[in-house]
Amino acid sequence: MMHPYEFDPDAPRSHARRDFLKQLSIAATATLGLSSPRLVHALSDGTQILHPKAKADAIIVLWMGGGMGAPDTFDPKHYEPFEVGKPVAQVVSTFPSIPTAVDNIRISEGLENVAKVMDRATLIRSHVQPDLGSILHSRHQYHWHTGYVPPQTVACPHLGAWVAKVLGPNNPVIPPFINIGQRLEGVGEQEELKAFTTAGFFGSEYAPMNLPFPEEAALSVRPPKGMELARFQNRHRFYRKLADSHPERDSMSDFHRDSMIRSMEGAYRLLESKEREAFDINLEPKESYEKYDTGRFGRGCLLARRLVEAGARYVEVTTEYVPFLHWDTHADGHTTLRRMKSEIDRPIAQLILDLESRGLLDRTLVVLASEFSRDMIMEGQPGSNAADQAEKVDKMTEMKHYGLHRHFTAGSSVVMWGGGVKKGFLYGKTAPERPCIAVENPIGVTDLHATLLTALGISPKTVFDVERRPFYVTEDGKGQARMDLFGS
Amino acid sequence: MFKTLLSRPFAPWFSAALGCALGFGFLRGESIGQEPFDFAHKVLPVLKKHCAECHTGDQKKGGLSLNSRESMLAGGESGAEVLSKDRSTSELLTRVTTKDPDLRMPPEGPGLSAVEIAAIEQWVRAGLPWEQGFSFGAQGYEPPLLPRRPELPAPSSPDRTHPIDRILDADRAARSLAPLGSIKDEVFIRRLYLDLIGLLPTPEQTQAFLADPTADKRVKLIRSLLDRDIEYTEHWLTFWNDQLRNDYSGTGFITGGRTQISKWLYEALINNKPYDAMARELIAPLSGESAGFANGIRWRGEVSAGQTVEIQFAQSLGQAFLGINLKCASCHDSFIDRWTLKDAYGLAAVYSNSPLQIHRCDKPIGQTASPGWLFEELGKIDAQAAQPERLKQLASLMTHPQNGRFSRTIVNRFWHRLMGYGIVHPTDAMQSQPWNEDLLDHLAVDFVDHGYNLKELLFTIASSEAYRAESERLEERESTVAYAYQGPRARRMTAEQFVDAVWQLTGSAPSKFDAPIQRGKPIEIDAAQPKATDPQGVWIWSDTARSPSVPPAGEKIALRETFTLDALPNQAFGVITCDNEYRLWINDRLIAQDKAWETLESFDAIAALRVGQNVILVEAINGGNGPNPAALYFEMKLIDPRGTVSIASSDRWKYTASALDAQGKFAEGVNDWKNAVVANGPWGGRLKNEIAMGLARGPLDGPMVRASLIKADPLMRSLGRPNRDQIVSMRPTELTTLEAMDLSNGQTLADWLERGAVLWNARRASAQTGDAAAAAGASRELIDRIYMHALSRHPRTEEIATIEEWIGPTLEVTELEDILWSVVMLPEFQYVR
Repeated sequence: MMHPYEFDPDAPRSHARRDFLKQLSIAATATLGLSSPRLVHALSDGTQILHPKAKADAIIVLWMGGGMGAPDTFDPKHYEPFEVGKPVAQVVSTFPSIPTAVDNIRISEGLENVAKVMDRATLIRSHVQPDLGSILHSRHQYHWHTGYVPPQTVACPHLGAWVAKVLGPNNPVIPPFINIGQRLEGVGEQEELKAFTTAGFFGSEYAPMNLPFPEEAALSVRPPKGMELARFQNRHRFYRKLADSHPERDSMSDFHRDSMIRSMEGAYRLLESKEREAFDINLEPKESYEKYDTGRFGRGCLLARRLVEAGARYVEVTTEYVPFLHWDTHADGHTTLRRMKSEIDRPIAQLILDLESRGLLDRTLVVLASEFSRDMIMEGQPGSNAADQAEKVDKMTEMKHYGLHRHFTAGSSVVMWGGGVKKGFLYGKTAPERPCIAVENPIGVTDLHATLLTALGISPKTVFDVERRPFYVTEDGKGQARMDLFGS
Repeated sequence: MFKTLLSRPFAPWFSAALGCALGFGFLRGESIGQEPFDFAHKVLPVLKKHCAECHTGDQKKGGLSLNSRESMLAGGESGAEVLSKDRSTSELLTRVTTKDPDLRMPPEGPGLSAVEIAAIEQWVRAGLPWEQGFSFGAQGYEPPLLPRRPELPAPSSPDRTHPIDRILDADRAARSLAPLGSIKDEVFIRRLYLDLIGLLPTPEQTQAFLADPTADKRVKLIRSLLDRDIEYTEHWLTFWNDQLRNDYSGTGFITGGRTQISKWLYEALINNKPYDAMARELIAPLSGESAGFANGIRWRGEVSAGQTVEIQFAQSLGQAFLGINLKCASCHDSFIDRWTLKDAYGLAAVYSNSPLQIHRCDKPIGQTASPGWLFEELGKIDAQAAQPERLKQLASLMTHPQNGRFSRTIVNRFWHRLMGYGIVHPTDAMQSQPWNEDLLDHLAVDFVDHGYNLKELLFTIASSEAYRAESERLEERESTVAYAYQGPRARRMTAEQFVDAVWQLTGSAPSKFDAPIQRGKPIEIDAAQPKATDPQGVWIWSDTARSPSVPPAGEKIALRETFTLDALPNQAFGVITCDNEYRLWINDRLIAQDKAWETLESFDAIAALRVGQNVILVEAINGGNGPNPAALYFEMKLIDPRGTVSIASSDRWKYTASALDAQGKFAEGVNDWKNAVVANGPWGGRLKNEIAMGLARGPLDGPMVRASLIKADPLMRSLGRPNRDQIVSMRPTELTTLEAMDLSNGQTLADWLERGAVLWNARRASAQTGDAAAAAGASRELIDRIYMHALSRHPRTEEIATIEEWIGPTLEVTELEDILWSVVMLPEFQYVR
């Protein structure tokens, strides 16, 4: 019996991929009957859309959910300290800048550890988002994660689902798409979050494995609570015996039976496998654990590293989007960011160093991004009619006025490490003064995705036939990788 | 190179189509890989402009037809086209470039421009690639609009006279296929229960059916299941919620951009409202209760022209009622079927309250859409009429008896639900050809003859021999040969069916549900006929509600009423709600609590009452951020042979500001009880009918709460319950590995099974006092019952042997739990066979 994730990693790449597709599709492309999405290019010779040669085998997305203000993180501008009575118009950054390991790159105070690994990074300062009118975080997050602005006429797959669908797992027992740190129940905008945290029309085989609490991740790959391994194994053994001792198999197609049992076997294999230890961050040596232990995000980074080591394909770790919390600073932004930076600084740097020391960084693309940037005054972007959503003051009278409290879509920062991107490289530029719009090499979600996908060996033109229409991995298939970001 | 391009399996034509769909223009050059030759945009316009008149369709001047690549290569009287990248050998290129007026094509006019010639030359160099499936010739299948009453073939035998069987028997005979065997009663009853009411038959129900000797017992069973209104409604709610993208939570609700139709839908189903009436009320709502479907989902911010609520209206109507995909045509004339941008915008304009600018690929084309609809053969929309009138016209045209596409679409969906494969498949592709036109047409006219009666449609299908045939034996997922009817195709249980079945087996169904509905048939309230169950209460609050004062936010009070009983009544039930939040105790027993004033809770209090003095105590809290109305409504009916007594909230009730603890006790004696105040507010008007119906309905003894009434939880989501942001006509048919993981170690299912094992074990307890043989017998009986309930059959000898090997001499509760798990994980369990 073939495991649905199984394919021969030693086979020539294109061949392996086709085999993989054939097998993976057993459970998945069937899910919608004849209306199931069909990969349009993978026919007889498969040469039509040339997939680029992969530079990375795995990707970790570090998601700064809620809108990370670039002027207070990776794109510091003129700094004005807090002073009662100071006009807000004078403030662009609320932190001074600090030097990094790269001469021409300065970033914001509070990111001292990340500063030390910027010599392995490509820093994009010109990421831009469309003006969608009044800002709704989850709408921009949907856009960033699927490449499409909602609403859409079909359920769009998450980027992780695309990667899972096209490339499959690196290791057959590790689910190819793992999502760490985001609760989908009991938080604001949860329905909007669920709308893109999905494999969409690809069906649930490619859906994310959601691990909202890194410290509890081990539970999700263990037998149910209170069931020791021996009982779990016994249960499976007798289950198989019962399922197989059905001699006439009356009124049951072999196909339906086999397909279901194959999935049950697949689940059992992971739940029983050695790789499941990768999910247990408590097995990490204490010294190493502590380096990451700044909070849920930090522990999420540790979990991501362990999973990538074990063969995960797409892992996302988020600081978690909860309306008005974390990066979503509608008030008191400066103080909140001090905390946010202390939460992300050490674990991100450690993640990069750990991947490097394990020889994994070259083949793992780490991408830090957010749905948009923030600004002290401007909502949306120049010319936008987005409604203001934060208290407006002309002069700061209390500390809570000090921070980037508006959503800004015309210039945000993205940092990439490993996976074949240039090291110590700066790409794009925003205006030095407000409005800090991207003035050099602006790059939208479509081209950014094309770049990430290209690193992973997936053509930005990869297309599936859905409801008899083509549906591309990048909008319209028009994403163009910025090839000048790659190289040494 | 040539081969590559020729076999190019993806279509630049379609790429452009999608480019438009998303509003970002056309395909640009690629950064990586080789750009496929863009026949659709580069060459097709040139051919259409210069060649089509004489060389396409029926025209073959000079013997040359350009209808397809093959006919083009075959050439004409002057010979075949030569495939070569060398332009000098290309007849085509020669003809369009030559200076010789006798040879040049086209013979009239100035001929091709330099740009056009360059395009042809590139095309020749590329090996003359063609658009797959494209032809200038006759277009493919176009479904008929009008209904058609096919002549039924003669029955193949005297006992196979059902119209469906007459058609399918003839179909199979024509294909030289042998007749299909019938399933056993035990398979039939399970199939039928799951299909019609979504539940497993209990062992008793199965036994009774097996024991029934009458010849028409199957027909009787179908009728009796269709008569179980609540179960029928709550099963089919799943299908309709998918179909009408209705849910109790989801995108859009957060910003008020969407409303539910749950209450309307529930009542439509429980009253078996004719389908044409349902459609009319969805298209032209009589009240806000059915408006959510037509109004769609309004996202905050700006949306592309292809996703406005007006366009959503067009798309939803096309998909839900006609199985027509207008998603392409919402953006540009469709390339894959005949629908145009004007068709989509015409439909959208019927709904639109203001002039609607037509956008092609998100760019205005400077035209205003004129209200219209897809089949004007049946009648037109009056473009001058006001919007409500236009919607009414559209509703009546959609449900016009001569609109065969409307009736075919729904009968096909129901056929698919019961038989596992649409007569047109997939069910949203109603523009394509059915595998049996007579079958589809017959079902459709029969459905209309029966007044669009959905239950009758189910009866018709389920009472055929075709329905009770053995399941199709599917060796592969998708057969490459054309579909032929081979018996119903086994269908995977929906998430809701699976959850309901597990709840049945384990007694784990919740007591509360999320759907904002009253279960059961709504009761007609006749105000002119006073009844003992009529409401007698008033809305009450504290002194802060005494006009002109308005209760402050967060005000917390306790309200009390006492009464004395000389004997216990036969029944005691009631309703309660509070703006904004309450907990209700009767004689220190917590009876109900809730935080949503718009929904009423019904309760049964018989167990809490006692002879002598009884105390009703309610903790009530006002919500909000500033002063706002607050009030409580309570009413309980006590019924015994002497008559009905009402205990209802009134200004005789007492209240205090003293705080209650979690058990409903005061920390110390209360000595500031004051009389409650009758509160004025919007509640009475909004909830008047609900209260009357809740009281008229009587005590709660309803069937199990169903998964279809619950918000999607992670387990149901994992098992394929969709985000109902889009219309979903077909659920996933197979279990995936991630789903299997949730079933193997998810806590939700594990908890249900654990509870179920305890329950089953308790049933056995009475037999446990005996000796070992008696205990083994009791265990065997238990296993037998589990199999009967879950699978409607006894376990076979080898299954009993396996289980006995597993459990050893005694059956532990944990083993029982694992057996339950194993049984519900069997493919035999998870498929409707």
